[in-house]
Amino acid sequence: MTSNRTMTTTQATHHDQTLSRQEDYKLVTGQGHYTADVHYPGMLHAFVIRSMYAHARITRMDLSAVAAAPGVHRVITAEDVAAFGANALPNALAVKDIHGEPQKVVRMPVLAREKVHFVGQPIAMVIADSADLAQDAAELTDIEFEVLPAAADIDTALAQELPLHEGVAHNLSARFQAGDEAATDQAFQNAVHTSQLKVVSQRLIGMPMEPRAVVVAPAKGAEKIKIHTPTQGMLGMVGNIAATTGLKPDQFEVLTDDVGGSFGLRGAAYSEHVLLVLAATQLNKPVRWVGSRSEVFMSDWHGRALTLNGEVALDAQGKILGMRFKDQVDLGAFNCYMSTFIGTRNISITMGGVYKVPALYMQSDLVFTNTVPVSAYRGAGRPDIAYAVERLIDHAAHEHGFDPIELRRQNFIPPAEFPYTTANGTLYDLCECERLMDRALELSNYYSFESRKQMSESLGKLRGIGLATYLEASGAGTAPKDQVIGEFSAAGVLTVYGVTGASGQGHQTSFTQIIEKHLGLEPQSIQYRAGDPSHIMVGNGTGGSRTLYGAGSAIKNLCDQVVGKLKTLVESLWTCSADQVDFKHGVFELRITQGADSNPKFITTQDLIQQLSPEQRQQLNAVGEAQSGTTFPNGCHVAEVEIDPRTGVTEVVNYTAVDDLGNLISPQLVLGQVHGGVVQGWGQAFTEQVVYDANGQLLTGSLMDYALPRLGQLPQIHHETMTVSTELNLLGAKGVGEAGCTGSLPSLANAMMSALRPFGIQAMDMPFTSAKVWAALVQRT
Amino acid sequence: MNISLHINGQVRAAETDDRTLLVNLLRDHLGLTGTHVGCDTSQCGCCTVLLDGQAVKSCTMLAAQAQGSQITTIEGLAPASTGALHPVQAAFSKCHALQCGFCTPGMVMATVSLLEKHPHPTDAQITEGLSGNLCRCTGYLNIAQAVKEAAAQLAS
Amino acid sequence: MNHFQYLASTSVSQAQQWLQDHAQSKLLAGGMTLIPSMKHRLIAPEHLIDIVKLSDLHGLVVHDDCLQIGAASTHQFVADSSVVNQTIAGLAQLAGGIGDPQVRARGTLGGSVANNDPAADYPAALLALGATVVTTQRHIQADDFFLGMFSTALAEDEIITAVQFSIPLRSAYAKFRHPASGYAMAGVYVAQFASGYQVAVTGAADGVFRWSEAESALAEQRTDLKLQHPGLLDDMHAPAAYRAQLASVMLDQAFKKLI
Repeated sequence: MTSNRTMTTTQATHHDQTLSRQEDYKLVTGQGHYTADVHYPGMLHAFVIRSMYAHARITRMDLSAVAAAPGVHRVITAEDVAAFGANALPNALAVKDIHGEPQKVVRMPVLAREKVHFVGQPIAMVIADSADLAQDAAELTDIEFEVLPAAADIDTALAQELPLHEGVAHNLSARFQAGDEAATDQAFQNAVHTSQLKVVSQRLIGMPMEPRAVVVAPAKGAEKIKIHTPTQGMLGMVGNIAATTGLKPDQFEVLTDDVGGSFGLRGAAYSEHVLLVLAATQLNKPVRWVGSRSEVFMSDWHGRALTLNGEVALDAQGKILGMRFKDQVDLGAFNCYMSTFIGTRNISITMGGVYKVPALYMQSDLVFTNTVPVSAYRGAGRPDIAYAVERLIDHAAHEHGFDPIELRRQNFIPPAEFPYTTANGTLYDLCECERLMDRALELSNYYSFESRKQMSESLGKLRGIGLATYLEASGAGTAPKDQVIGEFSAAGVLTVYGVTGASGQGHQTSFTQIIEKHLGLEPQSIQYRAGDPSHIMVGNGTGGSRTLYGAGSAIKNLCDQVVGKLKTLVESLWTCSADQVDFKHGVFELRITQGADSNPKFITTQDLIQQLSPEQRQQLNAVGEAQSGTTFPNGCHVAEVEIDPRTGVTEVVNYTAVDDLGNLISPQLVLGQVHGGVVQGWGQAFTEQVVYDANGQLLTGSLMDYALPRLGQLPQIHHETMTVSTELNLLGAKGVGEAGCTGSLPSLANAMMSALRPFGIQAMDMPFTSAKVWAALVQRT
Repeated sequence: MNISLHINGQVRAAETDDRTLLVNLLRDHLGLTGTHVGCDTSQCGCCTVLLDGQAVKSCTMLAAQAQGSQITTIEGLAPASTGALHPVQAAFSKCHALQCGFCTPGMVMATVSLLEKHPHPTDAQITEGLSGNLCRCTGYLNIAQAVKEAAAQLAS
Repeated sequence: MNHFQYLASTSVSQAQQWLQDHAQSKLLAGGMTLIPSMKHRLIAPEHLIDIVKLSDLHGLVVHDDCLQIGAASTHQFVADSSVVNQTIAGLAQLAGGIGDPQVRARGTLGGSVANNDPAADYPAALLALGATVVTTQRHIQADDFFLGMFSTALAEDEIITAVQFSIPLRSAYAKFRHPASGYAMAGVYVAQFASGYQVAVTGAADGVFRWSEAESALAEQRTDLKLQHPGLLDDMHAPAAYRAQLASVMLDQAFKKLI
């Protein structure tokens, strides 16, 4: 039962070949334009000298040999950065702690000055004629460190006598709380059953395939400083760079063309952005920096790194009375960008999941460690809390003899109670959890699992099935609204200017489909331009899965305005009144009144625009806007696994996902996002993990040690959408980008526990590597 | 060092360093930026080109090693004159087997090589054939589909 | 990578001369190990001597019960060769599983053997098949060739020209891949000769070794034994006990697919 309200699946064509997305032609022919492809004549190349110690004082540094090396133009140090007037890298949010005191915020310096705090931290930058020459020169760095004890994990950091940062005792940036502690304590006192489970959402490497890169060209005549870099929306980066460099936004342009994936990592300025602006302006030459993958491993913000310790209180029948969490958030060495947001808001707003929970409370400790700073990675805390809740529910069910399906069923928020405000103040618009779950149970053949399990066992394998009913809160947005600017050329082509470009999501295609549907223009008359410096507007970058419904709603509003203007023109064309013209499916039609003898009149948008004069076309220009807040995509995923006990290798033999993503604009692109999210979840569940040793050395420093998902590791995903429209935006859509991993982490983990629990294994953390699973089984048998 | 290579059916010459990698010769000296660099441990496959018909990782070869060989990059896959796409390129788009596009040129070239060897590949052969290529966006399912679609198109 | 001078040799003797003339020089064949190491600046030879196209280093010869493969043969060449598939199918199958397709197109037998990575596949085949490494100076038995992690019996200016493999009745290779690097976490080559079985293990310890207990067990058609070895690797990816277990499982798999 698929109740998709699918929009027109428009396909672009190129030379009679059907393309799924307009973006595809240039990308499949190698004509994409990523930052590392940018070339300026006479361009110089930068190399960053980085710390090899996790925690140390720089006692001596002599870069004279570096500066004197062949081909070197300049060496930049912290002193140069200070003289330039640059500020530390941005932190998006600071909270009040549990006592109402301000959070102890320590922002990352552009270049380390007297101390280094993580392996990979930038210390200096070399600018030379080529990347090889810059790296040759860097080898001549003469630097001495006084190595200090490192705190590579939270427990060590909290116990540390001599903290990373002066004034931050025990490396505690803040202890945060949300919800009602007293009410929750009462719920636990009244409980008949309680259950507790601590889970770790381990530190991950985001690994967009395009390594981080920046190219800066200095101002020339009337042209501003040009900063080429992958972003998740030009405006955010403009603000970041202005704040860190001290430049005014009108002094520079941020140019983002194609982006090779972002997943949350491209949202803010890094040291290299600031350093290249300094270098390019002071040398008056274009400068390029492209990170190597190993370098990016130790300098792109890391993801996740949360420990979520949850408890649930139940009455005798299994009704949830309360839930509480005691969480630990590994910030890394500094407060960078989103880590506080993740460790406070994002792990609290949906901490009741899809359940009716009368009392909710959480505390989180935000802790500095001598590791790469942590920021947003696909879901930014929301998949993590959904993971913790769903594992806790399963754990409680098994601990106290409840069926995990029925325990969920009786605790879902009933449809009649929506819009529902959670105990800690989050307003959910509408979810139909039970209907979703029933469909997922049916589609996954959940209730015939036992016979499949017996078959696996006869072949010497273990088999498990796990389910997760998740909900996640997509991005509220930081801008007051989303705007787009629509301009018609003299020839009648509509160019829509927006804030944010894609990093693989296919915004161009989706936006074109919206315009086709709501305005009736054909694709060849539509263009979308993101981040054009000559068109400034208010709006959000991409993040929290909101672009389609956020910017998309603004585009719909633009279409409605243009339709209104066209209607006025049609009225004078047909000499009729406003209420006689209908617009539907891209066609203006004269409504025939009874008894009239006039012929039916209709005209398509495309034809109408062709009939207008160039001046009339340009009068159609408008600014579309909309306010679109958080939406609540939700779903039920069911995973089925088979484990070979001889090797500990797990095969996912079935994966079913039924998601409520609101109205779908581009079903094929939506499914692509689900696939990508589920597989990233698979990676976290089975193979990915950042490992530091006790000295803060990054042991997983490259793809030789950090295992990404590969083709063939997941079977087909059986996917259905169940559309429950939302009124929270003009399109009725819900954000899909992070839904896939939110559903996959808990369903895969619950499936693993289902297979392992009969062997006395009550709890295990991700990643469920083959070595870990084998060792756990061996210990029990 | 003066290097002369056969690339996409043309002889191209460049003045390079002994240490210039093939991928950097293509990208920086010859302006063929369709071939990408995604890692530094020869695992991601974004740099895959065809060398004498075989898929190789151009980041793990010196330009000097490629002397005398025929190289095909992503730019040379489809006949430039018509603008039509190679069946593998068309299949990737049709099956939505690309999102950000960064791994795509390497994925396409590896697929071309795979299909030359196995015109009707099994799932196992597809898994093995693309085992040298990583993607972070698509989750691979559509890529496997695109390989099968391309195989069907090439066969017809 | 650091500066170096690239030299393309036109004969084996020229390559040898250059090796002697230039102290900080290395031979370049496929480059699948050398180039990445140089990119990370872990090694910085001053001269690279390219030998991969030398005809003397290519070719297949079968005589008596021995298959000789040229050192510059790529893994893909060995995997696809009808001669190899007909004489030592297990070897072709091993070659067809090294790395990935792009690596197999360039990586060579000689390069793999000379490097002696403790997780490389070929060394297991050489040991199990009683191979002889043919160099510009001598013939070295496999048992005497592999000395430890990244260490072989080769002299500074000695070049591997071919490897001679004893042709078995049957053989097979099974390996458990490291999920990140793809190298063997345990790779077992089983070869059956008229005189009995020979079993070699790679990936599990600091170097390839013969598993004599397995050889006796296979003679009794048994594969249910635990690997005991003093130098089993123990790291964040796999503790020693796990590698031992994997070796047992790979032994079983290899035995079941002898061909």
